[in-house]
Amino acid sequence: MIQTVFSVSLALWLLALAFSPGADAATVITGIVRAQSGHPVPGLALLEKGEIHNNRWDRGTLVDTSGRFRIELVEGGQYGLHVYASGYIYKPNAVKVETGKTLDIEVVLVPEPTRANDPVIKRVEFVPSEKSKGTATIIRMEVADPNGILGPQVLAFDAATGRTFAMTPPRWVWSLKSNYPDGVYQLEIDTSKAPTDPRDWHFVVADHKCNTTDILSFPHEPKPPQVIRP
Amino acid sequence: MILAIALVLIAMVSAEHAPAGAHAGSLAALVAKGEQWWKSSPDPRDPVACATCHYDPDETRGWAASFPKYRPLPPPEGRVMTLLQANVEAVQRHYGLPDAEQPALAITAYLTSRGSGMPVSPGIVAGQPVFESRLRVLAQSVRRGERLYTRRCRSCHDAGVLAPAALLFPHVVDGQVESLERFLERHRPDLPPLGWNAQSSADIIAFLKSKLAGRQVGGSP
Repeated sequence: MIQTVFSVSLALWLLALAFSPGADAATVITGIVRAQSGHPVPGLALLEKGEIHNNRWDRGTLVDTSGRFRIELVEGGQYGLHVYASGYIYKPNAVKVETGKTLDIEVVLVPEPTRANDPVIKRVEFVPSEKSKGTATIIRMEVADPNGILGPQVLAFDAATGRTFAMTPPRWVWSLKSNYPDGVYQLEIDTSKAPTDPRDWHFVVADHKCNTTDILSFPHEPKPPQVIRP
Repeated sequence: MILAIALVLIAMVSAEHAPAGAHAGSLAALVAKGEQWWKSSPDPRDPVACATCHYDPDETRGWAASFPKYRPLPPPEGRVMTLLQANVEAVQRHYGLPDAEQPALAITAYLTSRGSGMPVSPGIVAGQPVFESRLRVLAQSVRRGERLYTRRCRSCHDAGVLAPAALLFPHVVDGQVESLERFLERHRPDLPPLGWNAQSSADIIAFLKSKLAGRQVGGSP
């Protein structure tokens, strides 16, 4: 008798758990990215976990041609959402999303008026790591800034895994507010379990004044920046 | 009675002389100058101004009311700042001006005039998410400010009576516009200066503003 009561109670508890509101609800940030004129803008939406500008990069996603994006999160909390698009000044947004809820936001981007002050990605290459005997790939990206005010946002995004990475500067930098050096930035990717495909990788760089490179996607061949008329 | 004491204190504040870092002219002229700084970059090669990104007047209207607050700069630079201090940091970074105090004071006057009538709400911007971690840091700043106030100010000024005077800055003294931060720096020459751009100034102002929640920016004492 006791065993039956216990079994029924356990079954009811498990059922309640399974069907409780929000039990399986995803924690999501969705949004739409527009220019001031209202038209949708494609690009990248990349996340720092925790307080904005902490340089702890986490998830990310591509913003599609209709300006929409969706990032599924492991947990709710505070995030720094940075939206990038070629020809526009990037937009940082401090956001807070509750676990099991969807946060929907609209981001409006402003074109960089001259492009003359934007950092530039000169080249990107993927090379096997010699140290790790083929179990890692090193991504190298050469970056320059006309004003010498690069910031820590020298970023690589892997669309296959949805992960965002800050690349390692060519020399040690005193603080996140320091001007980061021009030169070759690196990122080592563990490929011991699965190879990485360069087609999945997208790159973007911003300086301390929010001037932003074009987003460099496969085949990673930089083009001269174009001014977008508002 | 309280109003009379407040008016006397404000008269004392106004009667002191030769403010360092002050801006010659009227407050209206400073607001106009601030609007100019806000809307146009001093560098013709880099025309991005404050208003390029912060173009929506509704976005900035609540800013003055929300300071002092935690400014999330890259660690370890993030700290509680006054509006003037935040503007100094932004002017230095975006306009590349080594001496950013005067432009920042003008922009502070402009944003304060834009926010006139908004209820004081330190740490919280209307329509923006509330971040508990930032409010905790602000609460620590208020506690430090209270201790500083007790040591430096309380023997002469009751905080509850004096606090509304904080809403009157930037203010004009002898044709010079002065920030609250500069006033606090020079007010007790017998004590080590607070430093107008230092955390200690932000702490005292955070303490005073914590007593003003709900009152109107630019309101009379």
